[in-house]
Amino acid sequence: MGVMERKFSVVGKGVPVKDAKEKVTGSMKYAVDFTVQGMVHGKILRSPHPHARIREIDTSKAEALPGVYAVLTHKDVPQNDWEAAWFNRRGKVLDGVVRFVGDDVAAVAAKTEEIAERALSLIKIDYEILPHVFDMEEAMKPEAPQIRVEGNRRDPYVVAWGDTSEGKDQADVVAECDVLYESQQYAPLGRNACIAEWNGGKVTVWTSSQTPSELRDGIHEALDIPLSKIRVMAMPCGSSFGQWWSVNFMLITVCLARKAGRPVKIELDNEECMVTVKRRHIERTRGRMGCTKGGELTFAEFDHIIDNGGYGFKDDVGFFCVDMWGKARHGSYVVHGVNTNLLTAGCMRGVGDCTLGASVERVADMLAEKVGLDPVEFRLKNQIRAGDELRMQHSRSTMKQTMEEYAASIPDELKESWPKLFHLSSGDTHELLRQGSAKFDWKNRFKGWGKPHTIKGSLRRAVGVGTGAHVCGVEFEGATSAIVRINPDGSVKVHCSVGRQGQGSETTQSQVAAEALGVSFDMVEIETGDTDSCPWSHGSLASNTMYRVGWATRAAAMDARRQLLEVACREFFDSCEPSELDIEEGVIFRKGISRSNVRPTISQVLNTFRSDTLGQTSSITGRPAVPMPPATTFARHFAAHFAEVEVDIESGEIKIIDYLATQDSGTVVNPQVLKNQAIGGAICGAGFAIYEHLVFDPETGAIKNGNLLDYKLLRAADFPSKAEVLFVESYDPVGPFGARGAGEAPIAAAVSAISQAVYNAIGVRVDIPMTPERVIRALNHF
Amino acid sequence: MKLVLDVNGRNHEIETAPDRTLADVLRNELGLIGVRVSCAEGECGSCTIHADGKPVTSCLMLAAQARGKKLLTVEGLGEIEKLHPIQQAFIDEQGFQCAFCTPGFMMSAKAFLEECPNPTEEETAIAMSGNICRCGAYPYIVKAVMKAAEQLRQEK
Repeated sequence: MGVMERKFSVVGKGVPVKDAKEKVTGSMKYAVDFTVQGMVHGKILRSPHPHARIREIDTSKAEALPGVYAVLTHKDVPQNDWEAAWFNRRGKVLDGVVRFVGDDVAAVAAKTEEIAERALSLIKIDYEILPHVFDMEEAMKPEAPQIRVEGNRRDPYVVAWGDTSEGKDQADVVAECDVLYESQQYAPLGRNACIAEWNGGKVTVWTSSQTPSELRDGIHEALDIPLSKIRVMAMPCGSSFGQWWSVNFMLITVCLARKAGRPVKIELDNEECMVTVKRRHIERTRGRMGCTKGGELTFAEFDHIIDNGGYGFKDDVGFFCVDMWGKARHGSYVVHGVNTNLLTAGCMRGVGDCTLGASVERVADMLAEKVGLDPVEFRLKNQIRAGDELRMQHSRSTMKQTMEEYAASIPDELKESWPKLFHLSSGDTHELLRQGSAKFDWKNRFKGWGKPHTIKGSLRRAVGVGTGAHVCGVEFEGATSAIVRINPDGSVKVHCSVGRQGQGSETTQSQVAAEALGVSFDMVEIETGDTDSCPWSHGSLASNTMYRVGWATRAAAMDARRQLLEVACREFFDSCEPSELDIEEGVIFRKGISRSNVRPTISQVLNTFRSDTLGQTSSITGRPAVPMPPATTFARHFAAHFAEVEVDIESGEIKIIDYLATQDSGTVVNPQVLKNQAIGGAICGAGFAIYEHLVFDPETGAIKNGNLLDYKLLRAADFPSKAEVLFVESYDPVGPFGARGAGEAPIAAAVSAISQAVYNAIGVRVDIPMTPERVIRALNHF
Repeated sequence: MKLVLDVNGRNHEIETAPDRTLADVLRNELGLIGVRVSCAEGECGSCTIHADGKPVTSCLMLAAQARGKKLLTVEGLGEIEKLHPIQQAFIDEQGFQCAFCTPGFMMSAKAFLEECPNPTEEETAIAMSGNICRCGAYPYIVKAVMKAAEQLRQEK
């Protein structure tokens, strides 16, 4: 795919994010900073058992405590299932069964947090202890304790093509792996709070969420009240990575406020954020791949298990590897989702990419070594190219509509304007690998498989490369829309439902709208969290924000622009065609006529409109006029990372010495924002690769390191400040001004690059997280 | 108990229980929400403020211990219309994503640059390692502090 010739005035500029001044002055309000007049405080009682049923619950003493307004138990809560986005949670708000240590049991609203806490200790519960299961493979057995009414196992998610037994016959060499990945914690900096206020049967909810619309849907499902009676006001989050979508504590706040008859705020403390919300899955990959002597993949066969914990309901985590390495002649990827009595697991940044994906990269590396190919060459030979067919195109039993049914229902005339479905529309790893390896001086720094380039005492230095890809949003849960309103003074307001967890969406969406309309960036303001004004969207998940919401924002802006120009034609340009006009910096003019005096501003056009007695409106409202093509069937974003590490073979410590992150997210809308996404992803991946993992108590399943003291995160000195970012901008045919998704490919590439660099430094593969103990153990086993 | 706190150059008289932390009082009595509380155990550095010019994690300090000390929070560092060079540098280099950690980082940076006005990049990275940025903006935080250092040297 070539890079389209283009000239943008706002897109591509590294303008400071819209909320930069609020951020550096500390005036930015997260949900924890928000208060409502008359609000009281809620606290949640947590389960001490991994699996139990409540036989009796006596709340009389808690209710009698002065200052208590309400005690909420499962008896007060409608018994409807509600579902968080993308199967991250399915269940009732409270149902009298607890499924992990830390699970929600009951809640109290009181005048102060201290009184609420005291009241919690006065609730008496008689539990019937149920058998529990922590190990996901044990949980798969039919005789295992069943944690959910639907059973522990989801239907296997299968992507298969060709015939792997044929592929095995064609293989000259085969490599395999069996890797267990421990669970990474989102480990959010910042906490979260939820404030709910009922008024006349309507509820307003303030909380930090990446998915305002999905939260409104969840409240609707759980309480069975009309969507029109629910207003979610999603506020900015601290670091989230998928943690703050819709979370059960938000639903509890809503129910508790209704029972208390006054606004309630529940603020989670840091430990609650880490042990009661969700985490990355524990995952295990068993698999093998084979290739010819020349390094051409003949088959890929992977069996992968993900542990959903108590309430997760996911079955798939294959976005990256299935398509990235889909050139294999034959393939079979099977993913099993299974519930256990551990904390719920959900989508964390790069879900599946850092685990199943890392396994596939690891086996690919083993094959490359066997056939004597450099890792860059092996990837160039075997990874997907733009235009290639995608492998993920089969039916999904859990969806209302399969991908094929979706595609078949689209009118032909619309489909003609779309990219070829089930084929990669643009971008791949090739240019990233080519330009990245040149910039990183890969050829000179890579000294062969398992060979360090420098040995100094106990220190071994080597380089590694890894690749990652992810979707750019998914469409199964609904169609994304946006509204762009042009005000009579020429200012613009965008309404689109996205998260503000630091990824700059309020800024990049505004840039897209400004570019489409031809106004300056400063004229655009945006509302991202109010479900009363923002139309439905998935929000910020699955690298959806720029691609699908950005598409909607641009489409809405183009619709507003069309309406504006129609009025301008009629009122100022002798009824010419709108296509003859253009807008720059908010001034409308006729194209090709350089010295025309007729140059009305947007505000002049709208004020003419306003004084028109037959006018229907004083402002213009634009919305997408056609549906967006299904992104899952053609759009991916890509990253290739190059890392240099130093491993101390005496202490087992790993240091990251040098780093280059390359990324193809199509057109770069804001380089300042995107470079932070790329490096932020790398650092989160590096943490997963070398430190981060939750420790579960073998007896109770409770998390033993659920705080920032015991759960180690990378610090500034742990990652090279000289790290660089390189963008390749292959223009996307659908995304706004050629842009695609961004946030998830980088974390996957980082995990694989660092793992490979460690292997090259010490000649032994170490399972993730490559803690000093594991490095030493791996060296001793060798 | 009654307490007088000198915060950002002004005295505030506060009625408070003796066991409340300084972070709690600054946030909930004085409305200084720039004092961000995350871990509440002195590990993440989000609640870093200055007491008599020295950086402290205000989540670990009792409000009563701050009596008689000159306290400075991010709200006293600069204003929207007149940002401190450190704040401007964090914007220029985009030394943040979600920015929950940013006030704490900037307060640590201020104390560091007063001690060490002409640091190397490596010294800066080490000095900034008492704070956690989960979004991983570290290279840009280090660049921001280096840029602020240069600006502050020029202003002298």
